[in-house]
Amino acid sequence: MKRRQFIKKAGLTAGTVITAPYILPSGRLFANTGARVVNHVVFVLFGGGIRNQESIEQGFISNQPGQSATGNIMRNMLDGAEPTEALDVFNYAGGNSMWDPILSTPLSKQGAYFKEVLYGEGPTGHYNGHTVAMTGVYTETGLNLNVNPEFPTIFEYYRKHSDPARSAMNAWWISEGLGPYPSLNYSRYPGYGAGYGANYMRPLTLFFEGQPGSRQLQDAILYQPDDVARINKIKSILDKNFDETAADLPGIQNTADHREEIKAFYVETLEKVQNGGMEFPLPYDNPNLLTGDLVAVAGAWEVLNKFTPELTVVNTTNLDICHSNFTGYLNFLHRADYGVGWLWDKIQSHPVLADDTIMVCIPEHGRNLMPNNLQDGNGMLAFDHTSDANSRRLFSLIVGPDDKVIRQTFGNNGVATAESVDIVPTIAHILGFHEDIPNGLLNGRVLTEAFL
Amino acid sequence: MQMFEYFFLFIFSALFALSSCKKETKVINETVVDNYVYEINQVAVYQNNIEKTRQKTPEAFLSGLYANLFQSPIEANTLSDLSLIREATGDKQMADELFLNNFINAGGTMIPSNIQMRADLDLFITETYLRFYLRMPNPYEVFELKKVIDEDENLTPELVYQAFGLSNEYKFY
Repeated sequence: MKRRQFIKKAGLTAGTVITAPYILPSGRLFANTGARVVNHVVFVLFGGGIRNQESIEQGFISNQPGQSATGNIMRNMLDGAEPTEALDVFNYAGGNSMWDPILSTPLSKQGAYFKEVLYGEGPTGHYNGHTVAMTGVYTETGLNLNVNPEFPTIFEYYRKHSDPARSAMNAWWISEGLGPYPSLNYSRYPGYGAGYGANYMRPLTLFFEGQPGSRQLQDAILYQPDDVARINKIKSILDKNFDETAADLPGIQNTADHREEIKAFYVETLEKVQNGGMEFPLPYDNPNLLTGDLVAVAGAWEVLNKFTPELTVVNTTNLDICHSNFTGYLNFLHRADYGVGWLWDKIQSHPVLADDTIMVCIPEHGRNLMPNNLQDGNGMLAFDHTSDANSRRLFSLIVGPDDKVIRQTFGNNGVATAESVDIVPTIAHILGFHEDIPNGLLNGRVLTEAFL
Repeated sequence: MQMFEYFFLFIFSALFALSSCKKETKVINETVVDNYVYEINQVAVYQNNIEKTRQKTPEAFLSGLYANLFQSPIEANTLSDLSLIREATGDKQMADELFLNNFINAGGTMIPSNIQMRADLDLFITETYLRFYLRMPNPYEVFELKKVIDEDENLTPELVYQAFGLSNEYKFY
């Protein structure tokens, strides 16, 4: 063999050995790339069913019979001038005016703004709208079922495919309401499930005056670690003498240490609420203006501030009142927008989260083009969501550090440039595990155009 | 007329026969239990923990826990509140630990004092097993628990009760 041939062959062999894939103990062909855009994602499921007419088109009440006033009532999220007439609409539920925005620059100018997003398939219901957004798979289920989704949630993908695997303390699902929502922290999918699920809580039930938590947990105390160890020591002796285990309790289970941390968080948060020390997204410190959505957002902030989880999902749903009350819908939309702006503002002030967090916002579905027959006190007609083309129109925001997330608007021509199923792969991309999700599980794509 | 007499006699005989043909039966009112009956609390007691194979529902667990600690039934409103808190929390084990913590520290629970516990450990252990597990402890269980309590003067009855309430066996029936 000539010297030149030898060198060529040896080089090829060495190159092949170096680049050849190998089977890891986990069964993967390649090691997790782990390349992340940032280390924290906050996903706001800006839910309840929002029409693009009142959000991105800033139609205000102009789509009501005999009304012409237009304007932007979401000035924390969207760019545009506020309404200047028909402002008595905001005399609602303790309020008497519009709220000044908390953000000097709207979120649509702080990241990628997808003006038209498509909810492609399946009925536009709250449960399945949430399910689609959190699993990245369209579903035909049309009922608000109190069951875990069929396909893995973003929490399970995150916990199973991150390297090293993450604990439930890093994944939180915080909802405005109960009903079907507590079931969305893990799926029924084989190989995933509760073992990879997220911590879940509904702050309103747990922490607020007059609610079950304030009535039934007010005497709970924090034990010293020594006493916790004593309880666990006796428990382990008792468990040793019993063959059955309660490990198959429904729901996720944290480690003993993390349970203690979360218990401490519960007790401290209850005390904060009772002492007036908890922060809420309220512009005038007027508790009468508080909504369930804003309580959920405040609870999400408490979790973010305390545990700095890598993946947090929070929803708002109050504006679903639109089934019977359009005025209420506008007001809840306006206040939820303030809550999202407040949350982003808080994140920017946090030493760990600032500049290392991307926030994603999307409604779970829209609402119908045509109203139903119900009128509210202002004579405004209400809107349902029964899977017409308009109820499949959404928008989305992906905001984050200016060296990571592009400042650009997509879909200016009214054509959808993204789908609701794209959110899960996009979050997986941000947190660096998209390549490790098995092929065929997700319907959507990574919205790569949102990132620099 | 004679026919009428025959008819009357037949009816009378039939009534007599029916009333006199009642089968003699003996009612045996015997209580058959496969467990002992603990006379003070009037509840069935398991012979051992192998009989417990089914996991309690959350409501059964919570109402039983409340009754064991307060020696009175839980109110419907309280049970409803606890169920909602459990629903509003992802980690159910953690929720149960918080409930137990709250019960113990709320006051009003029927728990022996530390002095009472240490004055007669055998009695305390037996009564605690009966209260939570509805069975007598075996000699080894008494020995083990007695040893742990003896060795740690800071181990209070409240902490022992919490360990029983959180144990696997307590979640089964």
